[in-house]
Amino acid sequence: MKSIIIGQYIPGKGLFYRLDPRTKIIAVLLIMISVFLLETIEQLLIGLATAIVLLLIGKISILKVIKGLKPIMILLIFTFIFQIILNREGETIVSQQMYFTGYTLLLLILAFIVWRILNKLVKYRFTLFFLFAAGVFLILSYVDFGPKIAEPFTFNIYRAGLEMSFFVVVRLLIIITLSTVLTLTTKPTDLTQGLEKLMHPMKKIGFDSESFALIISISLRYIPTIFDEANKIMLAQASRGADFSEGKLKDKLRQVISLLVPMFIIAFMRSEELANAMESRNFVPGEKRTRINELYFSHRDIIATIFSFLILALAIVLKVM
Amino acid sequence: MSYIEIKNLTFSYNEKTNVLEDVNLEINKGEWIAVLGHNGSGKSTLAKTLVGLLEPQKGEISIDGLVMNDEFAYEIRKKIGIVFQNPDNQFVGVTVRDDIAFGMENLCVPREEMLEKISFYAEKVNMLNFLDSEPANLSGGQKQRVAIAGILAMQSDIIIFDEATSMLDPFSREELIKYIKTLHQDGLTIIMITHDINEALLADRILVMNKGKVYAFEDTEEIMKKKSIFTDSHLELPVSLDLANALTDNQEYKEIREKLWEYALMK
Repeated sequence: MKSIIIGQYIPGKGLFYRLDPRTKIIAVLLIMISVFLLETIEQLLIGLATAIVLLLIGKISILKVIKGLKPIMILLIFTFIFQIILNREGETIVSQQMYFTGYTLLLLILAFIVWRILNKLVKYRFTLFFLFAAGVFLILSYVDFGPKIAEPFTFNIYRAGLEMSFFVVVRLLIIITLSTVLTLTTKPTDLTQGLEKLMHPMKKIGFDSESFALIISISLRYIPTIFDEANKIMLAQASRGADFSEGKLKDKLRQVISLLVPMFIIAFMRSEELANAMESRNFVPGEKRTRINELYFSHRDIIATIFSFLILALAIVLKVM
Repeated sequence: MSYIEIKNLTFSYNEKTNVLEDVNLEINKGEWIAVLGHNGSGKSTLAKTLVGLLEPQKGEISIDGLVMNDEFAYEIRKKIGIVFQNPDNQFVGVTVRDDIAFGMENLCVPREEMLEKISFYAEKVNMLNFLDSEPANLSGGQKQRVAIAGILAMQSDIIIFDEATSMLDPFSREELIKYIKTLHQDGLTIIMITHDINEALLADRILVMNKGKVYAFEDTEEIMKKKSIFTDSHLELPVSLDLANALTDNQEYKEIREKLWEYALMK
């Protein structure tokens, strides 16, 4: 279990690695706000271009960012499809007569099966999904023969629908790209420390950002340990006949409980020992401590912060005009 | 006055049975004490009361003239550090550097000084090349050494090892013992709680605990001659010493006895 990577951090040396985590957090926030202020497609495209230029400046591989997009891809596709289907404002751009016959049904089922099989064999699943979607569209449009199941209908795409879906998707793309840059180039510990420092003023309303940061950093430190433990327990339970991969949902649930209960108990025991170790090393919650990892603002950070404020200012000016 | 003084110490978790009962001890500065005892004999509880993690119902602990109470616990913990059994559960930092720094951070040591001390003490336990390593990539023995460095960096001069070698493989265990020997030579006071009688032989004095009481507390060589102490406490002597003790005081066996002693102590 030595290869667990917490977060997405990848060691490197680009410009963004040298920035203070606080700068990066502030910049990402400011640029996110700016993105939501943009109103026309041209502006958004410029925004997307800027995000890509930032990636290039930081020497961050675009492939890695695309990988980071994967979990959100489904969300993007669904917003896109829903916007196109449900938004019926503006002029019609595409109007397509569609049929639904027995052959259509047959072909759809066939297409689905082929897609599922290929999905297991081929690497490029998203491309495959788009091919499948295109196939469905073609089948619905051109297979007009055979026994009729439903009345033919027209599928319309409206201008507003297309625009809105484009807006939503590009906005999300920019935001996710930016936050991926943040998590790719900042160690989780630095990120927590940056957050801690930024949230420090909240002490006045009773939020102890230092304890919060300590909790996060200890959690991060113990994730691999607990992962290790989960593996051991799974092996131990498997050797006693537990099967974590097969069986009905009910059986699976029971197996999961056989994993969770010992894990919780061990985690509690661990935490007590850890508390003892911390206390014996003179840790007193809430007391003042010095820090081994200090954050430093350099001239680079000042420039980056000014730059992101300028972007926000530009976005506000565009919005007002 | 001794460096560590324990007077009439009584402790219980549930007020029915005493885990520690009327413990009286005096330990000198620079001594190496081994604490032996069966499971549940109160060894670990004794260690925890010594660093103020548990508050005794009765009795008094004083270290270097400071009496353990809420007021001085903080001061006392500066002098005394403890290495626990499970290497994973005492590693607070995300990296070796952070972990060695943890205690100093709590003492508000300035950052520059911390960096100096970290390299100095990491060097001492031979972990200088691992300062940026994460605990998941370290062996148990390495983690225990980091724990030692963290305690040394706090300028403590008493270290308690609470079965610190029991979860290590034989090689790491031997290595850790080697480091403990150097610490002893550097003048640190060492209290080593252990199940391993061979480890205990390295100590100046051995404390045998039995049912929460001090059963015996004598010089290593003396106590090893009294087999009954060990059998009464469900402990076993190394075979060589058993044999040495079995040979009568007859003059002709003297040389063999000495050889057997030498053999046992060499381990």
